[in-house]
Amino acid sequence: MTVNPKKLRPYDQPPKRRRKLIPDGPDSSATGFFVAAALWLAVATGLGALAIGMRLITLEFSFPLLFGFSFEFDARRVEYAFVNATVYGWLTNAGFAAVAFMTPRLLGRRMAMEPLLMLGLLAWNMSLAGGIAALYVFDLGPNAPLSALPWLIDGGLATGALIVTAAFLVTAVAGLRTGYVSLWFAAVALLSMAGLTGLNALIGLLEWVINLAELPVALASLFVERAMVTMWLLGIAYAVLHYVVPRATGQPLASAGIGMLSFLTWLMLAPIAGLATLVDPSIPFAITSLGNVANMLLLVPAALTVVNLVQTMPGRWSLLFGSGSVAFAAVSIAFLLAVSLLDALGSLRTVQELVARTDWERGAFLWAAYGTFTFAAFAMAEHALPRILRRAWGGGFLSSAQLWLAFGGVTLAGLALMGGGMAEGSLRAGGAAPDATSAVLLVYRGIAFVGFGLVALAALAFVLNMFLMYTSAEPAEYIVPGASPATAPAAGH
Amino acid sequence: MTVHTPIDSRSRGIAPWAIGLTVFVFLVGGVYLLSNLVGQNPALAIPGSSAPPPASSGEPDPAIGEQLVANAQPSCATCHGADFAGSGNFPSLLGVEEGPVSENLQDLAAEHPDEWIALWIDGTTPETEGIDRGGMPAFGDQFTPEQIDSIVAYLKSL
Repeated sequence: MTVNPKKLRPYDQPPKRRRKLIPDGPDSSATGFFVAAALWLAVATGLGALAIGMRLITLEFSFPLLFGFSFEFDARRVEYAFVNATVYGWLTNAGFAAVAFMTPRLLGRRMAMEPLLMLGLLAWNMSLAGGIAALYVFDLGPNAPLSALPWLIDGGLATGALIVTAAFLVTAVAGLRTGYVSLWFAAVALLSMAGLTGLNALIGLLEWVINLAELPVALASLFVERAMVTMWLLGIAYAVLHYVVPRATGQPLASAGIGMLSFLTWLMLAPIAGLATLVDPSIPFAITSLGNVANMLLLVPAALTVVNLVQTMPGRWSLLFGSGSVAFAAVSIAFLLAVSLLDALGSLRTVQELVARTDWERGAFLWAAYGTFTFAAFAMAEHALPRILRRAWGGGFLSSAQLWLAFGGVTLAGLALMGGGMAEGSLRAGGAAPDATSAVLLVYRGIAFVGFGLVALAALAFVLNMFLMYTSAEPAEYIVPGASPATAPAAGH
Repeated sequence: MTVHTPIDSRSRGIAPWAIGLTVFVFLVGGVYLLSNLVGQNPALAIPGSSAPPPASSGEPDPAIGEQLVANAQPSCATCHGADFAGSGNFPSLLGVEEGPVSENLQDLAAEHPDEWIALWIDGTTPETEGIDRGGMPAFGDQFTPEQIDSIVAYLKSL
């Protein structure tokens, strides 16, 4: 017998579920961070295509705003907005989501302070949105991109990072000693991120109060820029890959010992890799050389991780040819090795002289950010979102499009920019006139623009895939930490 | 009830190849570090700064010249080497006070013994018209004459 709902009396209707103003259910913060990350990815790739396009065509304009401020649009500001949206928007939100997803499952306890984490999500993303808008208004000073946000904004970011770090430590500190290697990577990476954003805010405040000289500010900002990559992004990528590969292949990690050796070598080298950026006569030559050597030696944890994770996959090679977590993780691992080799090469002083201040640096950044780190984040999203939302991915086509467009696009864009950088360095060394060099660079930059356009399409495929999953995908059941086992069948973890 | 889903590992130890690889690469890095302990870093190219302001007194200032050289586009060090001792076809900038080493600049130096360096760096004045620049950019559109004087003061101090 069917029931006409219109004929139900009020007391026959099931009680409405009350939604809290600040969600605090299991995985609610992970969901929030993943959604924020996906939106930032769309913004970042759009800005990236614009930034590369502005290497092809010069476009500058400004118009007045209220209170004597003006909106300034130029290549440097677009470039800075792109880097900030990529690192702080897409990759950092994805990193926070990964932490909020992995930690409860590895430790068997819910993420502590879940409502506070939602406030951290708000603080982080509101600050970042304001900061990126501010890049087009305020003077960027002598800062590198990741330190160019106003100090108040950096304070907001530091607050968000501190909240996430505190929630992680409260959840994990008791189990960290015997914890899985991903937790160790995540712990150091989170502490570094909180420390570096705090340092950015402190330097900005000092600059505002006592008007620091340009040189120390520029040196500090370059150090923070490199440390943010080696400590935070690389650390969280290692954490994610060590988590996703065993989970998605359903096999144990090949060697816990090698995992810990990777962690220890990374922990030793990553903090001093930033010293390589302090290239100034006021800094002893040996200090920058030490930084260069640390960058070269970062090849060790990368190589150990690659071998360890590849040895985790035997018997599951067919997963590499699909478009699931393992395929995304495999691309991330390949880029991890390639970028580590490039960083090692780029740390040689002869190579630095050739490619300094060319497109090479931006090409290497693209491979790291949109190769290694983005594919690690895609792998985590591919694995985690069905378990968080308890829905299966809807579009196989969209996942394939996301994988191949992003892979092809970032490979092409990175190669073109690095090739352009080498060509520029060689032409200069060969005595070519600047006009002739610019004409050659146009070809490389045109190819890079097309390549990054493909990455932007991949980002749209990811956002659309997530949207379809949320709205119309088939339900799927997985274990959720903190949920009653009766309502959560063990169909995977 | 909280569900605990730890990740196991097949082995807890560290394979000998992993230790060997780590020790070997660290040794290579150590050797590279020892061979790169002594030297001088070039001046920092401050992000976003193509040219610092000239000295307030208007007098040539080698310190400002150093910053200008570091931030020039393209950088002087790219062609003349990080230590300005020359690289490939590009001559050394050390000892420019004693006169040009390149044949194409002999006439310019003879006609303008005190100004030839500034004129050559500028590259937009009639005095340097018709001289083969051999890949040397003209910096006259990038720097003011006062800034070029500071650059000359810096180059002479090397």
